[in-house]
Amino acid sequence: MNAVWSVALITFKEGIKNRVIFGIFIIALLLFAATTTVTTLFMRDIVKVAVDLSLSTVSFAGLLTLLFIGVNLFGKDLDKRTIYMVISRPISRSEYLIGKFIGIVLLALSVVVFLGLLSIVPVIMSKRFYYYTEAKFDWWIYFIAVIYIFIKLAVVSSIITLFASFTSNSFIALVLSLVAYIIGQSTESVRELLVSQVEKIEVSPILSYMVEIAYYVFPNISAFDLKTQAAHGLSINPSYIIWTALYAVFYMTIALAIGTLAFRRREFP
Amino acid sequence: MHRSLIIPIFAISLALIGSAFTIDKVSSERTELRQKEGIGVVMPSAVARIAALEFKGILADVIFSKAMTYYGGKIIRQEKLIDEEWNWIYRNMDVATDLDPYFLDPYYFGAMTLAWDANKVKESNILLEKAFKYRYWDWTIPFYLGFNHFFFLQDNEKAAYYLMEGTKRPGGSGGLLPTLAARLSYQGKRTENAIVFLQEILNKTEDENIRWIYERRLNALKGILFLERAAEIYQNRLKKPPAKLDELIAKGIIQEIPQDPYGGKFYIDKDGSIKTTSELR
Repeated sequence: MNAVWSVALITFKEGIKNRVIFGIFIIALLLFAATTTVTTLFMRDIVKVAVDLSLSTVSFAGLLTLLFIGVNLFGKDLDKRTIYMVISRPISRSEYLIGKFIGIVLLALSVVVFLGLLSIVPVIMSKRFYYYTEAKFDWWIYFIAVIYIFIKLAVVSSIITLFASFTSNSFIALVLSLVAYIIGQSTESVRELLVSQVEKIEVSPILSYMVEIAYYVFPNISAFDLKTQAAHGLSINPSYIIWTALYAVFYMTIALAIGTLAFRRREFP
Repeated sequence: MHRSLIIPIFAISLALIGSAFTIDKVSSERTELRQKEGIGVVMPSAVARIAALEFKGILADVIFSKAMTYYGGKIIRQEKLIDEEWNWIYRNMDVATDLDPYFLDPYYFGAMTLAWDANKVKESNILLEKAFKYRYWDWTIPFYLGFNHFFFLQDNEKAAYYLMEGTKRPGGSGGLLPTLAARLSYQGKRTENAIVFLQEILNKTEDENIRWIYERRLNALKGILFLERAAEIYQNRLKKPPAKLDELIAKGIIQEIPQDPYGGKFYIDKDGSIKTTSELR
């Protein structure tokens, strides 16, 4: 366990030191600043627009961090051949991989905590500016949504870990993770569309079968998206929170387990 | 100066002048092109929902503000929107509220402009019905629905139903809602009821751009009510309805005929009701 923790800490420190993270923070700060101006263009649901923009900024910055820094943290050891130094030490390959995963999750956590707290500012400012009497807003739900952004990023981290465990190149891992994220984000809507049949499209059974497979293979990332609920202060069932959290834990376990199996059998160049 | 520098410097200064000149041309060409482009295609909701990934809320904001800006630009240039453009606005509001069905602004903006400016009460009601379903806590939605049914569709029964639904929602039991619902069950006094209704809407409206729509309509209705009352006096005095508005002035009942804020002229229709040539549009 000690070994896992030290790999995690090293990975985290390496990630925080990365210059890209400053760029991401600057983008996030600019977006927060833009929020206050953009909201003035709307009529009544101003707080909703502010919450939309703030939460999306937190989520977007987290994703950028994972895709641009997280993926590279895996690749670096292989590219610079420092992996030999690590695997010659008394640490198993599974411990190394899980340590890397935890390091990336810590990175995502620090981004979400920092930006999540910062995102309060534009929301408060827009609330001061104008708060429509029939609008609903609840800070509790807002923070639940922020926590769910972190859960989503943790799931994405596990996918990155999985892909990094067997790809030879960090760019391929990046592309695969991005594709997995996009599929995971949209399978639910695609599935709904096929089931509802409102648009009256002829759907071949093979396609709906493939969509069904994709729904179960890729994580349903849209389940962790509570931005609409936060924006309108809509209450969330406790059962929703329990089941989605459990789903995330199980999915991460599967991804990490497959990842470690692949990583153990891997041969380094 | 070194000889090798002359050519690059010459090239750069030439290009600078060229780019300053052309960017000017480009912007004027772009303005022309964009005006021709006018309204674009509307992304179908199903596609938008998938393409937006986790940023559905933001896409809803963008679609809404794009249509609103387009409408605003038309108003500033004092151009009337054609039917096609109204349909475009309606579809945009529909997609925006499919992306975020709780988002008030597209419902509000769409329902108001479609009913008042475009005479598309049906579309306005479809949007409001959707809002009625999703914004289950908001009493203002049944209030606007009730108004549409009363004023545009002349369906007092349905209007009263929506107003009663509104009183069941938090915040709806105060104010004028219950009184209005009761008043609607009486036939007649249409103009008076409409004025009371509009006054209530105006009290709830802070946005200056929306206010003037209501204020104009309110002034027109006040003009109609004024003439209706005068016609009543005429009827009581002479035991026959006036055929022309000028007769009201001739008999000294009124000093002058009020102006129609929509630019039309008031007249008495064959059935004796007061109408205007602008048809309040």
